Amino acid sequence: MREKLDLNTSNIATGLLVLAGVISIGWWLAKDPVDELVTTQPGLDNRGAHTAVADIDIGAYFESMGTIESELQESWPRFRGAHFDNTSRSQVSLIESFPADGPHVMWKVELGEGHAGAAIYKGMVYVMDYDEEERADLLRCFSLVDGSELWERGYHINLKRNHGMSRTVPAVTEEHILTIGPRSHVMCVRREDGAFLWGLNVEKEYEAEIPLWYTGQCPLIDDNKAIIALGGTSLMVALDIESGEVLWETPNESGWLMSHSSILPWKFEGVKMYVYSAFGGVCGVAAEGPNAGEILWQTTAWNHQVVAPAPVCMPDGKIFLTAGYGAGAMVLQLTKSGDRFNVEVLNEYAPKEGLACEQQTPVVFDGHLLGILPKDAGPLRNQLVCVHPDDFTKTIWTSGQDKRFGLGPYMIADNKLFILSDDATLTIARPSTREYIELDSYRVLEGHDAWGPLAIADGYLVMRDSKTMVCLDLATSRQ
Amino acid sequence: MEKKDKDKDKGYNRREFINNGVRLTLGLTVVGTGALALTRSTGKDYVWQIDPFKCTQCGRCATDCVKAESAVKCVHAYDLCGYCDLCGGYFKPGAKLETGAENQLCPTAAIQRKFIEEPFFEYIIDEELCIGCGKCVKGCAAFGNGSLQLQIRHDLCLDCNQCSIATVCPSDAISRIPANEPYIIKGDFIKNKEG
Repeated sequence: MREKLDLNTSNIATGLLVLAGVISIGWWLAKDPVDELVTTQPGLDNRGAHTAVADIDIGAYFESMGTIESELQESWPRFRGAHFDNTSRSQVSLIESFPADGPHVMWKVELGEGHAGAAIYKGMVYVMDYDEEERADLLRCFSLVDGSELWERGYHINLKRNHGMSRTVPAVTEEHILTIGPRSHVMCVRREDGAFLWGLNVEKEYEAEIPLWYTGQCPLIDDNKAIIALGGTSLMVALDIESGEVLWETPNESGWLMSHSSILPWKFEGVKMYVYSAFGGVCGVAAEGPNAGEILWQTTAWNHQVVAPAPVCMPDGKIFLTAGYGAGAMVLQLTKSGDRFNVEVLNEYAPKEGLACEQQTPVVFDGHLLGILPKDAGPLRNQLVCVHPDDFTKTIWTSGQDKRFGLGPYMIADNKLFILSDDATLTIARPSTREYIELDSYRVLEGHDAWGPLAIADGYLVMRDSKTMVCLDLATSRQ
Repeated sequence: MEKKDKDKDKGYNRREFINNGVRLTLGLTVVGTGALALTRSTGKDYVWQIDPFKCTQCGRCATDCVKAESAVKCVHAYDLCGYCDLCGGYFKPGAKLETGAENQLCPTAAIQRKFIEEPFFEYIIDEELCIGCGKCVKGCAAFGNGSLQLQIRHDLCLDCNQCSIATVCPSDAISRIPANEPYIIKGDFIKNKEG
């Protein structure tokens, strides 16, 4: 009886152990040890669907405040000036140090938040501005000398602040003004009175995608043509400046997108072309002749999502390309053999390894490139540097660790460098290929993000921070 | 009569003396306790903290804290954030602007990206996942406004006598600061060193 009982107890214990083992194995097999992990997939941000492109009545808004006559003759007619090099040829002598109480301020005007630089033409200042009260994108015309507003032309559109709104410089000729707004609305008006001529909704007509933080491309008037980079169903378009009629379109077979970079006209080996650094690649488009609008050469070796600086093209066929957000820079070599162009990559490097710029385009002085390094350039971040003409990774001089700038613009006028810091401090330096020579500096405005390109004519410098535009009289003869 | 007055004065003085003594003792105790509390709350205690103006995001905060999971976390100063679609603190350079893991800079997916309205996105730090590596802070500082910053979280910090991260910090960004102001955040809502 006792043996039987022991046997039963033993069997029960064994059975329980077997049962526990079976349950454990079953649990182990059924349990997914990573079932609590969430896979990180596209679409988790619930990005909204693209809204339909709005119909905008371009040019419908106009307000006239008066007229003036000006005897001033000099101009800064577009982005990077008349010669696309950010260097003034004016003979007006400019100050090399500021008076104790700062430069002579001719006038000051409040603008909508943005980084749009001004163009100057014979005593008039033209600037793109978004009026938040009116909800209108406007081309505004001011007197260069006294800042009185003469007229504004534009269109109603709802925009939200996105690190500023307006950020392009108009292109101005004797007859016309060409603008492009934050959402790539192209507008052409008569310069004399702001009369509307024609408009183009790039987003709607060409299915172009507006770049991050709105359009930064500055429009180009060349040989009575409006030249606009699109990046939609066509890569580039030329329109008759008077009528807006399409003259040619460049196919966009590779599906490149619009960047913030502006088109640079360039003549190489006797062939005129438009060089454009898109999101997708860089190319040269025939500017004239029977093949106008055709792509002469292209490469996808340079392909970055955010490209703001324009290409810098050298007489020897070198093309310097740079961008921020870690892109660094690339140097291309263009050659021509018969009717064909060939492009090869000479060098590509990170921002820590040589000249690179995030927002502004470098200037050329005596064959040397000068530019301000981006924030990710290591110890030299935000410093102005001059690099060797044969090797852009070889730094000749820097402005030093105590003299850092930012994303602001810089230009050369009267053999002086004018450099604007983020906080609107204007620095005057002597351009040199040997060393950094600072002459003076003064904080002109109290704002921030002073990134809008500079413009100078007749000794008057027009500059801005994110909300205020100011005109300074820098002519030595008027001090 | 003269004697009576004298006795009366003598008794009054003794009683008053005792009463005043007790009152004075109680008063001093209350004032002393208050003063001690006030002193403690006005910064004689110190805690370790990272100065974001000095931090170079070397990554040692993630590996050199005595805690297995670092007490250093990324914090977000929303008043500085641009709410950009392309966030240098969220995306790897050149990545597609979508939430796939291959595009994200954060090794632990500790930043949640949320669409607000075109073209704005909000970036929220999940501190449970954050390891304090500072990759996002570096990306934000390089391309954005610097709204992402590393801070020692005092609900996690053991407040060691000698902070092990501070001893290896290459930029001397970690120091003792008053406990009543335990965080240093860049942004307009707090005083900054330049201001």
